[in-house]
Amino acid sequence: MRATLRDHASRAVDRIRAVAGLVESHALALGALATALVLVGVFYYPVATVFVDAIVVDGRPTIEPLVSVLTSRFYLVEIFGFTAYQAFLSTVASVALGLPGAWVLARFEFPGRETLRSLTILPFVMPSIMVAIGFVATFGQNGTLNAVLRALGLPTIELLFTLPAIVVAHAFYNAPLVARVTTAAWESVDASAIETARSLGASPVRAFRDVVLPQLLPAVAVGATLTFVFTFASFPIVLALGGFQLATVEVFIYSRIQNLAYAEAAALAVVETVISLSLTYLYLRYEGRQRAAGQGARPQPRRSLWPESVTSRELGTRLAIVGYAVVVLAVFVVPIASMILTSLTGPQGELSLRHYRFLVERQQTGAAYQVRPLPAIENSLVFGAGTLLVGVPMGVLMAVLTTRDFRGRALVDALSMAPLAVSGIVVGLGLLRGLVFGIEVFGTRITATGAVAIVAAHAVGAYPFVTRNVAPLLGNLDPRLIESARSLGASRVRALLDIELPLVAAGVVAGAAFAFAISIGEFDSTVVLAEGSTSYTMPVAVERYLGRRLGPATAMGCLLLGVTSLSFVVIERFGGRYGRGGF
Amino acid sequence: MRLTLEDVRKTYGETIALGGSEGDQPDPAAGGGANGISVDVDDGEFFTLVGPSGCGKTTTLRLVAGFEPPSAGAIRFDGESMRGVPPEDRDVGVVFQNYALFPHLSVRENVAYGLKFGDPPGGESDAERVASLLELVDLPDAGDRDPAELSGGQQQRIALARALAPGPDLLLLDEPMSALDAQLRERLRMQIKEIQSELGITTLYVTHDQEEALAISDRLAVMNGGAIEQIGTPRDVYRRPATRFVANFVGDNNVFEGPVVSIRDGREFEKTTTSVDNDRKSPDETEGSGRERMVDVDVGGTTVTVASDRRVDTGDRVVFCVRPEGMSVVGDGGDGPGTDRAGIESRARSGGDGSGTGFGDTPANVLDATVSKAEFLGESTRSHLRWNGQEVTVRSVDPLEGDVRIGFDPSAARVVETEQGRGP
Repeated sequence: MRATLRDHASRAVDRIRAVAGLVESHALALGALATALVLVGVFYYPVATVFVDAIVVDGRPTIEPLVSVLTSRFYLVEIFGFTAYQAFLSTVASVALGLPGAWVLARFEFPGRETLRSLTILPFVMPSIMVAIGFVATFGQNGTLNAVLRALGLPTIELLFTLPAIVVAHAFYNAPLVARVTTAAWESVDASAIETARSLGASPVRAFRDVVLPQLLPAVAVGATLTFVFTFASFPIVLALGGFQLATVEVFIYSRIQNLAYAEAAALAVVETVISLSLTYLYLRYEGRQRAAGQGARPQPRRSLWPESVTSRELGTRLAIVGYAVVVLAVFVVPIASMILTSLTGPQGELSLRHYRFLVERQQTGAAYQVRPLPAIENSLVFGAGTLLVGVPMGVLMAVLTTRDFRGRALVDALSMAPLAVSGIVVGLGLLRGLVFGIEVFGTRITATGAVAIVAAHAVGAYPFVTRNVAPLLGNLDPRLIESARSLGASRVRALLDIELPLVAAGVVAGAAFAFAISIGEFDSTVVLAEGSTSYTMPVAVERYLGRRLGPATAMGCLLLGVTSLSFVVIERFGGRYGRGGF
Repeated sequence: MRLTLEDVRKTYGETIALGGSEGDQPDPAAGGGANGISVDVDDGEFFTLVGPSGCGKTTTLRLVAGFEPPSAGAIRFDGESMRGVPPEDRDVGVVFQNYALFPHLSVRENVAYGLKFGDPPGGESDAERVASLLELVDLPDAGDRDPAELSGGQQQRIALARALAPGPDLLLLDEPMSALDAQLRERLRMQIKEIQSELGITTLYVTHDQEEALAISDRLAVMNGGAIEQIGTPRDVYRRPATRFVANFVGDNNVFEGPVVSIRDGREFEKTTTSVDNDRKSPDETEGSGRERMVDVDVGGTTVTVASDRRVDTGDRVVFCVRPEGMSVVGDGGDGPGTDRAGIESRARSGGDGSGTGFGDTPANVLDATVSKAEFLGESTRSHLRWNGQEVTVRSVDPLEGDVRIGFDPSAARVVETEQGRGP
């Protein structure tokens, strides 16, 4: 009798243990399922509806829109041809502008080098529409450049709505990226490998060619491929600086949407997405190879920026660096400075707050259909907070998943990173056609407001950045820490909360700041979803002002700059502490 | 607590980490009847798994801790199967080679971490428990410091304190001293042993350092290629290695092999084949419990006499080993090649060497060899000699050079492998 009782008791304990273990071991799977549902709901499904739009017209399947795109000389040459051409030029310009920067950052020592190095992350968090405003303020009819030319008595030039303006703006965005990855690769070159080559008889030039260059090239390739991917799908910069005269695929799709030509837009989007995904695949392959290269044991010593000896060679090098610094100033600092300056300048060139006053007046007296600044700021902050709420848990969970070994991990990796490769316009269009216009699920019509759709789109665009910041930290954690905690009595979830999360907190915060900044600056899908509604954000407001009034647009841009800078400070504070997160 | 491993195996896909596979087993006697490993650790025992990297010792420890499930076999704590029991419910304390202290917690918080999940033993409060453990590991004032501020040896002691804090039934130590320098290692190893015997906690210790294993263990298991080669007391394993691998791995050894040419003592050997197997798994310590007999072995043309407690017949190939300290210098090399017959007069001088089990009527073996190199080790010199085309290592107080004559007693030899010959 007693034995049976004990038997029962122990069996009950066993069962409780089994159930607890089941929940425990499936907690991660449940989280993954939730993330997957969100992704399907706000990314894969909407994108799929865009694809369906391209092959189903008026309820009948057809390949007519796709065929018309693929056989049209206009689309292939004028649109896709031009898109690829400007992306290629932008890539060349970005590499040309970025490589000297990598050389200076990796090989020279000077005050502020670390700061400059961390500033290269700035473009990632800069709203592209703000950069576009800066370039309009610099190169426009009444921009800084022409003002300087007029002051010097020289003829003015018109750079706006030309290819060079687009290419330089793209270089502004992507040259720091090239510099960043190349600097990292350069710094990881082991000095003893170079010394070995030298001791075996190689000249400095030969040692550079044989030892350093092979380690730099993959990094340059990664930077160039990424630049091409970004500039191929670039939207706000081309829209603002090229207009519809110099239309890339993205801009053209946008104009089709505005004209309600959804089938045509969808067909273009399909072709664009296929190209983007192929490019991203290329990039991921390059990046994988790049990661395989080991970390340098001992970096090369840096030279002082001040020449130690006055030889013509040393001086020549320094002169080249000074020349490069002037170019960097012109490309990176002048546009931002011009934006700030323009926002503070009156019609006669005097210092004035009238553009800001205009914003205040518009806020007080503007009509309902007019763009008012306060709702824009409010919306931006609310959407940013929403993005954090949705995107950060998704990103952390994805990071936990991707640092674990299981079957099909590569597929999960690829699927979860796909949002990076699909253009915001396509996601926006999908959400608009799907969620906002409503979908039928088991006879019930489900619709989402523009605001919800915007948060969804921002979260999908932002969570990969959280993952990228958290995953490396998680991956570097010693598994024995978790094992120690567990042998001391902590359950798996408890060990995650007590040990893992506190240790990757810096990455989570940096990732969150990224996510916030991306939400604040997001333009592509927001402009599609905010069309005609009241859920416009600061970047959308900037673009709407830009059409008629440059001054208020620059004033709005300055507000955007302020919010963005704040995000950058947070990233810098937390990302810089461990120096390993992210890019 | 009594720890039992019954026929435990671990495979990762196709790779076998622990236990042999069919046909892969070098010697079916080594792993017991089945393929897995079996170990029995007594309550309060300090038991060591020692072997080269990749031998499966750390895998075994991880299975016992519950970090990974065994592929087959059973792990029992006091007879109760641990199948499906997660690490947090096993009441084990684990100490890793790299300390694995939580970097974001202070030393005190590290030690106290395990107390969150249960009350400390002996009715102490958490704070008292932490204090008494810091006292135990001799770092009473380290509580408020960051782990990173401590030296490697101090961090390892904190890791030990943390593992012991919840009062585990079983202590698992995975190469806890491999990252420390030699002097510190010896000090810490004595400290660990002291703490262990004071607490009387059953301990499973993993190391690749055979010297450490001999110094610290009550018993040890020598592992190789996922299987256990021998289990025994340190003295036992050192003096009576069961396999050629153990002979080579534990301490210095000279290994010879050759066919048996004659058996001096005709008495029937008492042990059966199965008892040889038992001997390998858990050899009894009493020397010469089985009947030893004198066997003449032809080693590269020289006949050497060794004592064997294994059943051998004329024509069998045998492998035997002699410790360097079992060899002694007899005198300078003679003119002709040394044979066992020539050793009679020298035996008087070397008498008392060897283990002195009193084979009074057996002549010592004498080898004429040439010194090829000598290493000065401080308290002794290790000389490497060339003899008969193979290397022989001898330890002596004075350095050796030139031609030397060395000898060893038959009882200093230990037969570790036999292979049945074709002849009778």
